Amino acid sequence: MNEKEENMKDLFERLFGSEQAEEIEQDIRKGEQMFREYPAPQPDRELIADIKTEITASLLRRKTNAFRRTVYKMAAVAAAVIIVSAISVRLFESRPSATGRDEKGASAPERVVAGSAIPESLWESEDLSTDDTDLAILTAEIEQIEDEILASRLGENGGNGGEDLTELEIELIAINSDFWKG
Amino acid sequence: MPRNDDLARIIAGCKEGDAESFSELIDIYAGRCYGYFYRLTGRREVSDDLLGELFVKLVEKIGTFKGGSFESWLFRMASNIFHDYLRGKQRQRKLFEAKKEQLELKLAEANESEAGAIDKLQMQLGKLDADTRELIVLRFYSQASFKEIAEMRSEPIGTTLSKVHRGLKKLKELMER
Repeated sequence: MNEKEENMKDLFERLFGSEQAEEIEQDIRKGEQMFREYPAPQPDRELIADIKTEITASLLRRKTNAFRRTVYKMAAVAAAVIIVSAISVRLFESRPSATGRDEKGASAPERVVAGSAIPESLWESEDLSTDDTDLAILTAEIEQIEDEILASRLGENGGNGGEDLTELEIELIAINSDFWKG
Repeated sequence: MPRNDDLARIIAGCKEGDAESFSELIDIYAGRCYGYFYRLTGRREVSDDLLGELFVKLVEKIGTFKGGSFESWLFRMASNIFHDYLRGKQRQRKLFEAKKEQLELKLAEANESEAGAIDKLQMQLGKLDADTRELIVLRFYSQASFKEIAEMRSEPIGTTLSKVHRGLKKLKELMER
């Protein structure tokens, strides 16, 4: 008897009524008994061995393919990461800051401090008297230029502001180059 | 029949791709599946091919088994393979229709050569209609419950029971003649 069919009689009773149930159950049991009396042939050992060999080979192929797929996926992901990193680095390097300067430039304040007003040699120099003289001359020249700019703005010196500014610019350039020459 | 725990362990091993687990599964079910194919086709060489096909498919599909009755799942696959075989055979018949006489001659020769091996039950089974034959063979070899078989065939359990009952009763009568 099929282990799963212990309640076969109950099932038949529910479906066909108690009168028929027993008869049907008996018919089915006798019918299935014939299959036991005439067993079907069994598969050859060679056949089973062949199937097992084929399955082992198939599993090996699947494992190899799975490994290959994993490696390809990893390589693709690694390549993507490298490309994205490279692009990101380039973007960050060339991205301008809010002040219009490069981010890299903003992070290097010494370049801003080292303005052209006072040369580095002056800071490093220990000859105070000479340096003071140079600074005094520089300060005087700057004050003079300031006065001239102010006068030019107010139109005190004849009213030709455009020419005056050009002259001042030439003067400033001359002072600047003289100063750098020392 | 393996214990449920053992079967669960073997199936888990198969899902991991363990060849030894597949080997165990083949040892458990090869006989019943072979019997199923043999009783439906009546030919050993065809049963050999179908059994091989079944287990190769089992390797491919074991990952889709989500629990429940393994026998039902396995024999549903076996049934699909048998139906594919039938469809192929019908196509072959159509292809060879022009050479019908030659084919019939070949079939007769094949039947003669296997006649000695065919038992009485096989001969009487051949007299039942295809659907009933398949149903009672499925019931015996899969050892699935009527409820499971009804689900496999997508029909009401009462219909399955009636067909099995009528089929087995007729088979018994044929055997007693």
